[in-house]
Amino acid sequence: MSKDLIKRHTSLTANIVAFCRYLRTEGFVIAAPEEADALKTIEILQPYNTPETMRLALKICLTRHIGQAERFDELYDYYWKQVQKATDSKIADQKKEKQEQKPKPKGQDAQFQSLKSWLLGEKSDEELELHTFSATETLSKKDFSTLSEEELRDMFELIQMIARRLARQQNRRFSKHKNGQLDLRRTLRQNLRRGGEIVDLMHKKQQKRRLELVLICDVSKSMELYSRFLIQFAYAFQQVFRRIETFVFSTQLTPITDILRGSDFVKSLENLSERVPHWSGGTRIGESLAHFTQEFGQKHLSSRTVVIIISDGWDTGDATHLTEAMSEIHRKAHRVIWLNPLAGNPNFEPSTAAMQAALPFVDVFAAAHNAESLRQLYRYL
Amino acid sequence: MPLILTLAVRRTHKNSKLHCMQHDGLKKIENLLTEQGYISEPSIVMSIFLSMQLHKPLLVEGPAGVGKTEIAKVMARALEADLIRLQCYEGLDATHALYEWNYQQQLLHLKILERDPSVSKAAMESEIFGERFLLKRPLLQAISQPQPPVLLIDEIDRSDEEFESFLLEILSDWQITIPEMGTIRAKEPPYVVLTGNRTRELSEALRRRCLYLYIGYPEFDKELAIVRSKVPQIDARLGNQICAFMVELRQMKLEKVPGVAETLDWAQALAALHFDHLDKQIIEDTLGVVLKDWQDMRHVQLSLSQLLDKTGVVSKFDNL
Repeated sequence: MSKDLIKRHTSLTANIVAFCRYLRTEGFVIAAPEEADALKTIEILQPYNTPETMRLALKICLTRHIGQAERFDELYDYYWKQVQKATDSKIADQKKEKQEQKPKPKGQDAQFQSLKSWLLGEKSDEELELHTFSATETLSKKDFSTLSEEELRDMFELIQMIARRLARQQNRRFSKHKNGQLDLRRTLRQNLRRGGEIVDLMHKKQQKRRLELVLICDVSKSMELYSRFLIQFAYAFQQVFRRIETFVFSTQLTPITDILRGSDFVKSLENLSERVPHWSGGTRIGESLAHFTQEFGQKHLSSRTVVIIISDGWDTGDATHLTEAMSEIHRKAHRVIWLNPLAGNPNFEPSTAAMQAALPFVDVFAAAHNAESLRQLYRYL
Repeated sequence: MPLILTLAVRRTHKNSKLHCMQHDGLKKIENLLTEQGYISEPSIVMSIFLSMQLHKPLLVEGPAGVGKTEIAKVMARALEADLIRLQCYEGLDATHALYEWNYQQQLLHLKILERDPSVSKAAMESEIFGERFLLKRPLLQAISQPQPPVLLIDEIDRSDEEFESFLLEILSDWQITIPEMGTIRAKEPPYVVLTGNRTRELSEALRRRCLYLYIGYPEFDKELAIVRSKVPQIDARLGNQICAFMVELRQMKLEKVPGVAETLDWAQALAALHFDHLDKQIIEDTLGVVLKDWQDMRHVQLSLSQLLDKTGVVSKFDNL
């Protein structure tokens, strides 16, 4: 918010316009039509001019979703307090107690920024807490902590491409087709030329249905470095694609779809740490996946589901559970994709017992450690 | 889809009824809401009023069962207009929202016309693509009325993105072109209420076209007032306890958070059973009225005692 915005305006109209501008710096999407609405509203409300009605009316005009509606009252109070202060002291450009706030970046940018700051900002912590599977420690560190801005942008674009490709697979509309349901409308029009005698039958067919995505991320200790990155990945994914369910597991399975759906990433993370007490715990892939099939299988497994499991397969437990669960997932889902961050290492072999047990039921086994591997994922979908 | 929408900008409307109600507008809406047994809030009254005054669609969001749909009904009554409802669902397309031809009748009629050799092909075509064979769906209905109706587009977030952008065009032009008939244009745009419960993010473009209102779960006092007005025979203590319990229940992380509708069902059920208070046993026996998800049910049953502590409902049986 720049200083001159809060200069004292003498008329109410000017004040409303300035207030709109102030909201704009706070990330509200307000252009001329919204300002016009606000002014019209004030005019309409002339007979009921109380501070409360004005606040309510402006709130209804200028907010567009719940997040904005929640912040509105505070911003409104703050703004008018500042105006008041400016009047009292007659000095419009006095220093404000509040630090200058940068305008919040919008939409895609916000996600991109949070993605970046998270990855870069948390770097030092991650270096201290390295608990990765030792053989690939250096490689993985390089993969994620040195991501350049370009690479990040790249990744975000990839996620969007993936989302778009998934979206395109479905169209519930009907299209002309050689055989399929009879299309009466087309039949009638076509045959009118023949004087109403039905000669040609036209058909239509429902186009392919859209796929659903189930993302199951391993957040155990051995995956710590990746899991943070992957939560970001899942978050970004969820922002652009809505038919996605996300779960995390270490020793147990937790659905986190609703948390990631929130528009504030930092808040989502807080909720996440609250919801997932087993973060960076041990690994029980088999039990977790069995839990998934039992509890959520009915709802989230169908011939339209693509299941993506992201794990290093580093599990010391019994593999029988895993075999059972994987075979069920494989049987019911459209496709099973296993992404293993360690697979980025050229020397990698999927030799852990869990990995061996799971592989027969996996349609696509790929690496997920950098932008290139995501590009591959795009090709598989 | 053989549907062509031409762009046109029309922003003129005069409504004498509106002008005369301007001065007592807010009060009138409030009264109407109260008449309908709708316990309202200033923000609800204000948004209905502004939506009518500015003639802008009103987007109402909030969880299920908080009375979003009621708003359209009240608006229709305030304007003495018809209410036309379009229920959205995934896969909803233009034939269900706009219009469809009555093919069977068209075919039969064509057969009859054929008997008469004097009818030319052109005449035949113009006759069978006439208004009598046109099935009007809600959107076409809404724009072809002589008086602007209130159009309720319910659960817009259930429809897919394609439909949303299609709707956006209709909302800005208020005209529909039927290739066989020509363009139908609304004399005056309808009043529009859109509802959604945030199962999907709506596009910014659609949002910007609307005024916005969020209705959350009611506070204790408001919910109690609703219960008292809808279930007048309820015991005062029971009503209090039910509402307090619901407030606590909604704090829990549930799959399907119960709405006001559930509170009312429950109040009705318990009142019909002539209870005058809540206790653990009663709650356990009747929880199915409130919770509709198996996991929620288990979750709540396990923490019922804690929940009751917080609510302040202490059962005499608990102490035995």
